[in-house]
Amino acid sequence: MEGGFFYRQKNLMRSTNKIPLQRASNAALASLLNLTLLPVLGFAYLIFTFKKTDPDGIDRYHTILGIKINIIAATVLLVVSGLMIFFGGFDSPWTWVYVISYFTIVHTVFIVFAIWALVRAWSGEKLRSSFTKT
Amino acid sequence: MKYESQGVAKLYFIAAIGLFVGQILFGVIMGVQYISGDFLFPEIPFNVARMVHTNLLIVWLLFGFMGSAYYLVPEESERELFSPFLAKLMFWVFLVAGALTILGYLLVPYATLAEITMNDLLPTMGREFLEQPTITKIGIVIVALSFLFNIGMTILTGRKTVITLVLLTGLAGLAVFFLFSFYNPDNLILDKYFWWFVVHLWVEGVWELIMASLLAYVLIKVTGVDREVIEKWLYIIIAMALISGLVGTGHHFFWIGTPDYWQWLGSIFSALEPIPFFMMTLFAFNVVNKRRRDHPNKAAVLWALGTAVMAFLGAGVWGFLHTLAPVNYYTHGTQITAAHGHMAFYGAYVMVVLTMISYSMPIMRGHKASNERAQVFEMWSFWLMTVSMVFITLFLTGAGILQVYLQRYSEAPLGFMVTQDKLAIFYIMREVAGLVFLAGLIVYILSFFVKGKEVEVI
Repeated sequence: MEGGFFYRQKNLMRSTNKIPLQRASNAALASLLNLTLLPVLGFAYLIFTFKKTDPDGIDRYHTILGIKINIIAATVLLVVSGLMIFFGGFDSPWTWVYVISYFTIVHTVFIVFAIWALVRAWSGEKLRSSFTKT
Repeated sequence: MKYESQGVAKLYFIAAIGLFVGQILFGVIMGVQYISGDFLFPEIPFNVARMVHTNLLIVWLLFGFMGSAYYLVPEESERELFSPFLAKLMFWVFLVAGALTILGYLLVPYATLAEITMNDLLPTMGREFLEQPTITKIGIVIVALSFLFNIGMTILTGRKTVITLVLLTGLAGLAVFFLFSFYNPDNLILDKYFWWFVVHLWVEGVWELIMASLLAYVLIKVTGVDREVIEKWLYIIIAMALISGLVGTGHHFFWIGTPDYWQWLGSIFSALEPIPFFMMTLFAFNVVNKRRRDHPNKAAVLWALGTAVMAFLGAGVWGFLHTLAPVNYYTHGTQITAAHGHMAFYGAYVMVVLTMISYSMPIMRGHKASNERAQVFEMWSFWLMTVSMVFITLFLTGAGILQVYLQRYSEAPLGFMVTQDKLAIFYIMREVAGLVFLAGLIVYILSFFVKGKEVEVI
């Protein structure tokens, strides 16, 4: 239905001010950068930002989400790939068939997820709010 | 449908889907030939099946782009098409020329086809993807120029929007860069330069402009987000596409006898090539998240989002995977290239054409969206085709990595055909995924005929 977005945005502006929204956006961006161009640095930013965030605010939500995404990503990507190499052997071609294919596709899935988190942060929303516009 | 002449697009879309079916059938045939080389030999040798598979892809995508432009431009320009008659005439010219060319590939040896079509007068045949006889190429130029004239006159005499101007730039580039296919130098290295000026500058240059404008148009329609917002995104995306894509051509010049500087230029600029696709994903997610309404055509929204994600995956990530010169030293021309090619073409161009068809076809048939049951069929086809394409890509990637290791990296490298035998398991799995893709395509076609509860009628 027309107008639902504006109504929601108006309510959003009442409930959030610009600073938490900015922090939420920065946190989501740092999460995405940690997964792409600035590994470790992006994560460090998330850790240092955490204390500045409001415990009930959207900024805290996206900071924690970013930290969680990146810890899971590190585990799923580095640990699992490491185990594949450990058990498969460094000199086996099959090890690299599995590691490269797995790493590329799973890494991309995390990046796409982080992009979605970023656009949700931009609009001051959590991941799980209603997907249907009213 | 706001303008009657938009209906011309229907012809183009029907032809595009028909040729798409042909392309996939030949893909499936070739998939079997990878496992059993004698399959359908000598009736359809592998090289002919491959030529038909790739040429049909190009031709049906061109039909799709033209149909999309004929649908989009009148609405954006707020006027009827300059000449619907010319659009219909060129449709038949292109269809007949395309069909005759494919029949030529299938019915006579390629050398005989060259002889019949007097290739010796202006030799242009024999190059991958540009195998068409010279006379067909001339036909393509005539069709492309007539199309550009028609679209250009409509745009220039009507309302000008960023979408139509970007589209027109992309389509003009498409026509201009095709002209390099007429230059066929004797020196093989020079020949490769000009060959890539067509192939690369199409798919990693001007086609991205066409794709971005079509996607922007559909997103405006289905989300109701302000045109200004979408146009700003469009500017940034096309700027990045051109900045990275033009010099990025250099990644095709590794290891073929060209100067060393191409390794630096090609590596650096093509490493930037995922950026426009990344931005398209960000853009599509952002406008869908900010949408002002739920459009009844949910299938079109799904195709639009799928286009952005799959283009990023196929063209962006899988392109980056083997684009740096030191990596490409090992991967050049292996199955990794085939993996990238499959997902990039599907994600970027097949899906954007299907997005346009999904959005416009119901409107041309008198409805705002297809009935609910038809949309369920269409969304099933989306998932079947998309997931199977992901698996096709993964299996080809696996084959490529093993191929690189056995044939090029190992201390005791194996020969090409010995290596191919060792990749058989991947080719079998790829064929299974290909059959699922074909099933998805059949479901897609069925979606046009499924009856059900109609949604809002225009």
